[in-house]
Amino acid sequence: MKKVSKKALNQSFWRWWYGNLTGFTHEHMQTFAYMWAMLPIIGEMYASDEERSAKLVTYYPFFNTEPQIGAIVVGITAGLEEARANGNTDVDDEMINGIRAGLMGPLAGIGDALIVGTYIPILLGISLGFAEGGNIIGPLFYIVVWNATILAFMRFIYFKGYELGGSAVEVIVGEQANAVKNAAITLGQIIVGAMAASWVSIRTSIALTAPGEDVPYLVLQNSLDGAFPGLLTLCFVLFCWWLMAKKSLSPVKVMLLMVVIALVGVLLGVFDPGLNY
Amino acid sequence: MSLIQCIILGIIAGCTGVLGAWGTSVANYTFSRPLVGALLVGIVLGDIQGAILIAIPMQIIYIALVTPGGTVAADLRAVTYIGIPLAYVAAKSQGLDFSGAEAYGLAGAFGALVGTVGTVMFYGTAMMNLLWQHYGWAQLDKGNYKIVGKVDALFPLISQIVINVIPTILILNVGSNAIASFKEALPMGSWYMKTLFTIGSLLPAVGIAILLKSVVTKTSDLLFFVFGFALAAAMGVSLLAATAIGGVFAYLNYRLATIHSAGPVISDEEDI
Repeated sequence: MKKVSKKALNQSFWRWWYGNLTGFTHEHMQTFAYMWAMLPIIGEMYASDEERSAKLVTYYPFFNTEPQIGAIVVGITAGLEEARANGNTDVDDEMINGIRAGLMGPLAGIGDALIVGTYIPILLGISLGFAEGGNIIGPLFYIVVWNATILAFMRFIYFKGYELGGSAVEVIVGEQANAVKNAAITLGQIIVGAMAASWVSIRTSIALTAPGEDVPYLVLQNSLDGAFPGLLTLCFVLFCWWLMAKKSLSPVKVMLLMVVIALVGVLLGVFDPGLNY
Repeated sequence: MSLIQCIILGIIAGCTGVLGAWGTSVANYTFSRPLVGALLVGIVLGDIQGAILIAIPMQIIYIALVTPGGTVAADLRAVTYIGIPLAYVAAKSQGLDFSGAEAYGLAGAFGALVGTVGTVMFYGTAMMNLLWQHYGWAQLDKGNYKIVGKVDALFPLISQIVINVIPTILILNVGSNAIASFKEALPMGSWYMKTLFTIGSLLPAVGIAILLKSVVTKTSDLLFFVFGFALAAAMGVSLLAATAIGGVFAYLNYRLATIHSAGPVISDEEDI
């Protein structure tokens, strides 16, 4: 019974942790990174160069996912490769690539929404609070907490994937995982709302003054805030969301549209930052 | 900025970014973030506090950069290692107070301006890496399987130097010299400066909307977003406190979902 050594698993893990995107192209995306991470496993399971080359062919196809949560797939295939070397005939190229292809999409969705879309912004938000006034604690806090947590997470799911092998698939796409994901996303939705209110401030300079008076009788910004604090900001964020989510505009196009709105708004007197040197 | 400073920042730019040579978690998700990269920029420029203050508005614009399927809106390395140093030099040459509204708006505008430079660098690096992979496939055909490590981690360093390090050094060097005459050329009361600052205040809305898109699947989800907005805007709840309140809702949501799936089927009610 062949068993992959702890050393080979560690080597495989660190290669993936480091190299998952360093050699990225739009043609094969993370394929070379994947092969590099699988070499320690294959190298230990098979003695001859011919065999090793032949087994590496399994990992030639295209691979791309959110690479941090994707560590679990590398772990799973390490477990499967061990089973294959021990003569388990269920494990073949089709099975391994079926699992890889089947997990790429769901994991990219989970990783983008939870790690990149929720966890990192929350951590950055807290760090921004610490960084107020230019305090060095802000960046230091982020560096330590982010790297410690993501490394621990990646190691955990890599080794979990190795242990479970093919049965890990159920854990990832099962009902329990879905419930956790949806709960975390609810948290994300509320946090994003609080972030929008805390960090975005869009104000209009429109004010109406009666002839002969000094004080304007209507300051639009104050009226809007009286109805719903930050209403203009809220409308802009929702408008941008609507353009991207419902009208499928790319972020770059929406940014360009904001440039146009800013220009027209300034010329019409809707916006005036009121700054001086 | 001295040439040495430009060179150091250029090298750091090559190590960071989406495909950076420090590896995704450290390169892209740590030192590409403007707030975090500001620490390195500040060390190089000799003013950590000033660099962090400049970085805060840039960080807010780019708070959420999700890169689904290898498409990027902006590679933050250009914002962090070109935007922060140039905005810093500009603010300093005009004698602006770094914690004031003017420096804040200026930094936001600079961050928005250089965002696309990073996108070009990202696609350039990915294109140049095709060369190494082409060579890699040829070697694999010959049975030289050991080549994959070099193709993934060693040869791409050349792409980094050509596409990221050298252009960053050039832009910083030329840019920091040109910026000295900024104040006379661009008076704050002019329509174009007003526009620039207004852009700086509108763009964070796009950043937040990108984030919103990644967590909203159906339109009714927006209710939770508006709830979070009202917490902070109307009730003055801080971000950490909002996380605690949101955590309660997340937990309730989880409990409801698991009760629903574990228990007997009671009814076909809609999700809350």
